Amino acid sequence: MSKVLTIEDDEVTAREIIAELGAHGIEVDWVDNGRDGLVKAVGAHYDAVTLDRMLPGLDGLAIVTTMRQVGIETPVLMISALSDVDERVRGLRAGGDDYMTKPFAPDEMAARVEVLMRRRRSAAPATELRVGDLELNLMTRTARRAGHELELLPTEFRLLEFMMRNSGQVLTRMMIFETVWGFHFDPGTNLIDVHIGRLRKKVDHPGLPPLIRTVRGSGYMIADAG
Amino acid sequence: MPAEPAADVTPKADAAAVATPRAPSRAPAGPPGNSVPIELSLSWRSSTTRLIVIYGALFVVWSAVLIGVVHWETRNYLSTVVDQILEQRAHYFATIERERLPEAMKAASAIDLQGVMAYGLFTPDGRYLSGNLRRPPQGLPADGRVRLLARGIERRDRDGEFPARTLALYLPSGELMVLARGTNVIEQVGLILRQSLLWALSLTLIPGLIGGYLLSRGPLRRVRAIEAAVQPIMQGQLDARLPVSRRRDELDLLATIVNTMLAELEHLMGEVKGVCDNIAHDLRTPLTRLRAQLHRLRTQTAPADARAATIDRCIDDVDALLARFAALLRISEMEDLRRRAGFGHVDLAATVRELQDLYAPLAEDKDVQLQIEIEEALPAIPADRELLFEAISNLLSNAVKFTPPGGAIRMRLRPYDGGAKLCVVDSGPGIPPGEREAVLQRFYRSDCTRHLPGSGLGLSIVSAIMRLHGFRLEIGESEHGGARVSLYCVPRDLSGAA
Repeated sequence: MSKVLTIEDDEVTAREIIAELGAHGIEVDWVDNGRDGLVKAVGAHYDAVTLDRMLPGLDGLAIVTTMRQVGIETPVLMISALSDVDERVRGLRAGGDDYMTKPFAPDEMAARVEVLMRRRRSAAPATELRVGDLELNLMTRTARRAGHELELLPTEFRLLEFMMRNSGQVLTRMMIFETVWGFHFDPGTNLIDVHIGRLRKKVDHPGLPPLIRTVRGSGYMIADAG
Repeated sequence: MPAEPAADVTPKADAAAVATPRAPSRAPAGPPGNSVPIELSLSWRSSTTRLIVIYGALFVVWSAVLIGVVHWETRNYLSTVVDQILEQRAHYFATIERERLPEAMKAASAIDLQGVMAYGLFTPDGRYLSGNLRRPPQGLPADGRVRLLARGIERRDRDGEFPARTLALYLPSGELMVLARGTNVIEQVGLILRQSLLWALSLTLIPGLIGGYLLSRGPLRRVRAIEAAVQPIMQGQLDARLPVSRRRDELDLLATIVNTMLAELEHLMGEVKGVCDNIAHDLRTPLTRLRAQLHRLRTQTAPADARAATIDRCIDDVDALLARFAALLRISEMEDLRRRAGFGHVDLAATVRELQDLYAPLAEDKDVQLQIEIEEALPAIPADRELLFEAISNLLSNAVKFTPPGGAIRMRLRPYDGGAKLCVVDSGPGIPPGEREAVLQRFYRSDCTRHLPGSGLGLSIVSAIMRLHGFRLEIGESEHGGARVSLYCVPRDLSGAA
């Protein structure tokens, strides 16, 4: 069972995180101050850390900086009430792996934590991704479904790669836009939906079991139908 | 492409509820442009210069009048003196015996070295008897009174006539005696007075005008400094202030009054914006929780359950609300940003191609063509790539929304004034000229687009991003009546504005 450390001084937020991650089968250790948080993050093994940016005692930025300095590579999701454009850059530069602003949708938070944990588990560079009968060769940049080659545009390839690296995982539109296009503003729901629609037409031909699924109210997921 | 619409809130309801505060300082947009500096001082002249010119003119008139009076008085006085001399001479000559008269006249002439006097003795019928006058002047009554004759006086020893004050009388012997004294002394005094007037005026006026010009330059320079300080304020930077010197003069008084006014304005604007932001901020947390609970409820509801669809619609509505609040806060955030630190060099051509790539499927689904025209030799633009991308993305999103199927959207990028100009042109209904400024305000929606979904904040965000960069946004019309939004990405010296 995966274990996540939550360093969060606001109890309501902490309960939300515990409940949501618990629903995803993740065990959560909650610490309400920076000093204890750092001790735990350095001392025990966790699969991921959710870290409030502003904490009593020790500031979130200082915690993640210290963690990285002593060689702790546990993925960190920074959660901050500061939505300033520069704040994200600062958080990521200090060693955070992802950044969310409060208030956040719990399912989005959980999705991000899972992606972080997944990224860590598959640290070894893969040359091929596989979901059901869909294969993606990262060396030759080609995709095959049930033996037939798919003609993908570069963006579609990147999109499919991101989804397949996180197969079985709900990916929100925001996460897709951030990772595939590299921007952090809200592109509006339509835009990403249309791109997924394109990809879906190429990947899920009629007659084949659909791999790309829409998760109502959250986002998308690619998973083996079987 | 009209303003991004929102379906449910009319501007009036807005004012009552959340707020439609104009962005503090929304710069004027539309055809006049977002930040064209207005040269106020060009059509104005220094009040000092004007005062000096008026005063100078008065001084000239007054001096002329003064000298004129002196001239006139002197002339009168000199004439009186001349007349008295003439009368005394006449009296003297009249008392002298007849035989000695020619000699006395000769003697008088001898001491008159300048030759201002002339004497003549004539028979009653006008024939010359003695003296240095050639003939008796015509039309002079012989009544012993002095008269000014401009002509007709001729001396025997000189050529030509000369003006003179003249007196004629009959001696007891019956002969006509004429005495004349030239007025050239009086004329000369007049000339001296006139010349001294000219000298005095030129000696006073020239330094006066130069001094006036120099004096007026100081205040004018300060007015220009104030003008320069006003430019950013007119473009919405309400925290700027006018310069106040230590002289504590009328200009400083005025600047201080304006500064106090600006402080109050800024305070009020900040309050309105603060209230608006606080509402947006405070409502986000309960809305996020509401969404989370709905989401949880949705996951617990079987897909076949009829209530699932209702919950989905609720989630969509909450998402729309959250998106709108997020956009509102994003505008505030952008308006508060004074940073230039995140600016790198942006390859606009690459950004535009990336955006085409991002929006092509959306446009294609709506049967709208998305074309790009990029001219060569574009300089890299110092800007925040993400924000610029977001701005253009908002424009494209609007363009796709408002362009009917079968239409086209063109992004044209070309070099402009050391930077670049990007036009997003669509074949939609366009934005009526009267609404072009309003569409940049928060929540504004064109009446004809109220039925379309959207937050009404898209163009406000674009405007805020442009202002942050010091770039200009212009809304116009394409050749076919559609909307044309132009972004003038011209790098400027930002240090002063930051």
